[in-house]
Amino acid sequence: MKIKAFFIALATLAPTQAIASNQVALDNSVFVERVTTDASGKERVLLEEPKIVVPGDRLVFVLNYRNAGQQPADKFVITNPMPSAVRFAGAGDTAQLVSVDGGKAWGTLDTLTIMQPDGTRRPAQPSDVTHIRWAFQKPIPAGGTGKLMFRGVVK
Amino acid sequence: MTSKLTYWGTIGVAAASVVAANPAYAAGTTAGASITNTATVDYQVGGVSQGQQSASNSFTVDRKINLLVEEVGTVTTNVVPGQTNAVTTFQLTNSSNEVLDFALAATQITGGTAAHGGTDSFNVNNVRIYRDNTSSGTVGSWDAGDTLVTFIDELAVDTPIRLFVVADIPTGLANNAVAGVQLRATAREGGTAGSQGAAITETTGANTAAKDTVFADTAGVNDGSRDASHSAADDYTVQTATLAVTKTSRVISDPFNNTTNPKLIPGAVVEYCIAVANSGSAAATTVLINDPVPGQLTFVGSSILLNGTVTSGTCNADGATGGSYVAPNVSGTIATVAAGDTRTLVFRATVN
Repeated sequence: MKIKAFFIALATLAPTQAIASNQVALDNSVFVERVTTDASGKERVLLEEPKIVVPGDRLVFVLNYRNAGQQPADKFVITNPMPSAVRFAGAGDTAQLVSVDGGKAWGTLDTLTIMQPDGTRRPAQPSDVTHIRWAFQKPIPAGGTGKLMFRGVVK
Repeated sequence: MTSKLTYWGTIGVAAASVVAANPAYAAGTTAGASITNTATVDYQVGGVSQGQQSASNSFTVDRKINLLVEEVGTVTTNVVPGQTNAVTTFQLTNSSNEVLDFALAATQITGGTAAHGGTDSFNVNNVRIYRDNTSSGTVGSWDAGDTLVTFIDELAVDTPIRLFVVADIPTGLANNAVAGVQLRATAREGGTAGSQGAAITETTGANTAAKDTVFADTAGVNDGSRDASHSAADDYTVQTATLAVTKTSRVISDPFNNTTNPKLIPGAVVEYCIAVANSGSAAATTVLINDPVPGQLTFVGSSILLNGTVTSGTCNADGATGGSYVAPNVSGTIATVAAGDTRTLVFRATVN
């Protein structure tokens, strides 16, 4: 089920040498997290391809990136809108930013609030997350790779 | 405390608004829906923004078959022998992520322990299943406006409906007799309104990229886990009056000793006490007592006392004047003998 990344070059009329020679590869895959208990009562977590997926299943999204170009890639930002049928369930210790308003405002989850119908604001919950973003402080060197992941639950 | 209440109140409002915004997800993502995740990269090289890159994947949400049949309430249904339309109440919830039909089956147990601890000892008659009509009549209770059903058509997800198992109770049953009943629902294919859908089979063997079917239900009282069925039990308990009649007599007076150590000689007055004891669990009403006076005795007019009491097995010879005498029968009606109570009919006669 792992779908190899496909690339969309939005700037087709490459005006500079830099674009022509630079290519960032991104790979996006998803797994279903299954917890099984063996005979000795020990829990084992297995990541399976998402063939059988039903509401309530826990998903692990994995993003692999690679700077396939000849020069460092700067201001490297990966943005991932949450699929509407998936509820965000954390992204581990990767220093991610999230948005709870469709990508307008960004921050760590504990700094964001949600406007309620009565005009007051409440702290944002993981289920409010609409987008996740990783903004790298340092350039990705030529040939540099990395992996990012986040969890979700099928609504 | 006030702030806490406010907090929960506002969370509730927020949750409601989320549901309103995404009604399709209230009960889980609909089976067959495709979930696509797309990530994009923006970056610069040498200070110049480069073309955005994106990567996507998608998968199909499969069909999860889950349902819940529950007894409503935690007590037995008390019935009296001969009662018609005795009702036990259940609730069915479609916890699947698709609208489905549900076949229904009401069965009875034979012996064994019933839902509320009693031992099954009889079967009820004429077992039927009704679906509560939530738009008219008494909503939540069985009434004539409810619909007789054998299956539930196109049941929406996460919307519990109330079902009634209705039966007639045979006559001649002992107090505390128990009849256990069970209601089982089995998921059937939805999609065609007005008729029961086909049986559902779980996807076995190799997974497919399309919509698969997974049974996710738990075991009920008469079905296993992951079999697209669920069931629950309830029972009927007979609550009836158990009457025992005793008759005692004593000599009140004779023509010579009067009331001092009277003897049973001709002309003596004898008092009879007919006691009706109810050792059952329900009151007996309109208890008619009939006693022919032996030919050797003559009934004393207007001596009948009704609804008297007994103390430690001794007739108190009290009560209210009433009853009637049509030779040779003394008769009277006691309106109510409560469970555990004893009431009497007392009359006098003289020895010929």
